[in-house]
Amino acid sequence: MTFWKQTLPVALSFLVGLTFILQYYIPHPVSEAVLSEASVWNQIIYGFAIILGVGSLLQVHYVKVKRQEAGWGYSGVMFLSMLIMLGAGLWSEGKAEGTPFGWLYTYVFVALQSTMFSLLAFFIASAAYRAFRARSLEATVLLLTAIIVMAGRVPLGEYLLASLGPVSDWIMNVPNTAAQRAILIGVSLGGIATSIKIIFGIERAYLGGSED
Amino acid sequence: MGTQGRLSVAGNAFYSVLSTHYSFVMQHFAERILSLDRRFIFVLIGVVTLLPLLYPVGFPIRISPEVQRVYDYIEQLPVGSTILVSFDYDPGSKAEIQPMTIALLNHVFGRKLKVIGLTLWDTGTSMAESVLAQVAQELGQIQGQDYVYLGYAPGEANAILSMGQDVYAAFPTDYYGTPTPTIPIMQGVRSLRDIPYVFSLSSGFPGLDTWYVYGKEKYGFELGGGSVAVSVPKYYPLLNTGQIHGLLGGLRGAAEYETLLQRPGKATAGMDAQSATHFLIIVLIVGCNIFYFLSGQLRRRSA
Repeated sequence: MTFWKQTLPVALSFLVGLTFILQYYIPHPVSEAVLSEASVWNQIIYGFAIILGVGSLLQVHYVKVKRQEAGWGYSGVMFLSMLIMLGAGLWSEGKAEGTPFGWLYTYVFVALQSTMFSLLAFFIASAAYRAFRARSLEATVLLLTAIIVMAGRVPLGEYLLASLGPVSDWIMNVPNTAAQRAILIGVSLGGIATSIKIIFGIERAYLGGSED
Repeated sequence: MGTQGRLSVAGNAFYSVLSTHYSFVMQHFAERILSLDRRFIFVLIGVVTLLPLLYPVGFPIRISPEVQRVYDYIEQLPVGSTILVSFDYDPGSKAEIQPMTIALLNHVFGRKLKVIGLTLWDTGTSMAESVLAQVAQELGQIQGQDYVYLGYAPGEANAILSMGQDVYAAFPTDYYGTPTPTIPIMQGVRSLRDIPYVFSLSSGFPGLDTWYVYGKEKYGFELGGGSVAVSVPKYYPLLNTGQIHGLLGGLRGAAEYETLLQRPGKATAGMDAQSATHFLIIVLIVGCNIFYFLSGQLRRRSA
């Protein structure tokens, strides 16, 4: 069992990881053909990953309904919605134009998702009111910066004080860029380190279960 | 103690009672304001958003350099050039991204450029198709000749690599089931290397940065993008190094683009509402901080 659960996945990760690192630096027709083939394979694997994701979602909600955990009714709604959408999709052969699937997409899904996102404006305002307090020097700097950027990014701010726009641009272009760049470099180095650890079998958390 | 002395003592006592009472009332008031019912804030936001939409003011909109660069780049592309527009958003960000999509497509079709549309977001597939078809129809563009919609490409970053290697393999048919190699606009477009310009209308991952990392770097096209306002700060390092040449940031970016096109649309209409909402939030934050300090001082004084 260890061979199937550990040795083979680690060996595959090593082989595939190393192949595609080398592939990136070798612009030979054979290497390009390997990438072309692998990218199609990857898309197929991604399709199966969606099936796995849906399966996992169904399992989690099935357990909730079975045990009648808190909020199990919402899981029921999820099952019902998925069935209706799936049924409409199959009935309409995946086409949206003038079909029940298209109607559900436009008038239910789009409307619901837009509403959820719109609610953010209300919650952000409420959260900003409660949390944005000048409790320390750093918090005060953050507060003032936020006020300048918020005012400088809208026409009313620039109408009231013309220099707000350029000051806001400067904040975005200089201090913001410096901080974002630091985050980007940190995340990239972390990504490279984790990839190397996965390729060489040091990091095995993705295999799940115990390490033995 | 004479009459004057007694009056003075009484006056001091009265002042002290008044001051204590005032402090108590003010502290109570400040604490009430600080713990304001959030429904009150929700109503305020709703009203402040709605009023400017009903009674627009029309403040002038300044064009930022990153938006101007997108406009200028599209202006200088030769007539008949093919560009790829990736609709990387879903209905959640429709309100913010759709206006810039419409403005961009108006500009592109107006300049007689050809558009290859696709999406990396499965939940945005139909929405992208309808907006592309709608704008194309309004401007008399012919499907297959002036534009094509390839639909959803599964695989996120891998979808970009796949298109970079072989577009026909990544999309054997377009959204409507027509074999890709037979579509006139797709003749001669075998890889992302054959496309000079890609524009990603991005709401997150996969989106603009995915196109940069997996597409531009390897296949050498020029890249521009549009993004929801909340993600705009993370694109500034890419903008400053020229890794992306231009950016439409949120509804404001779309409004600037509409201004450049002299075609005011939904983004321009939404700018007054956004101005009012931003200023309401500023007023709330400043007010909250004033009462925060006031309540702290009063608490210290009463202690």
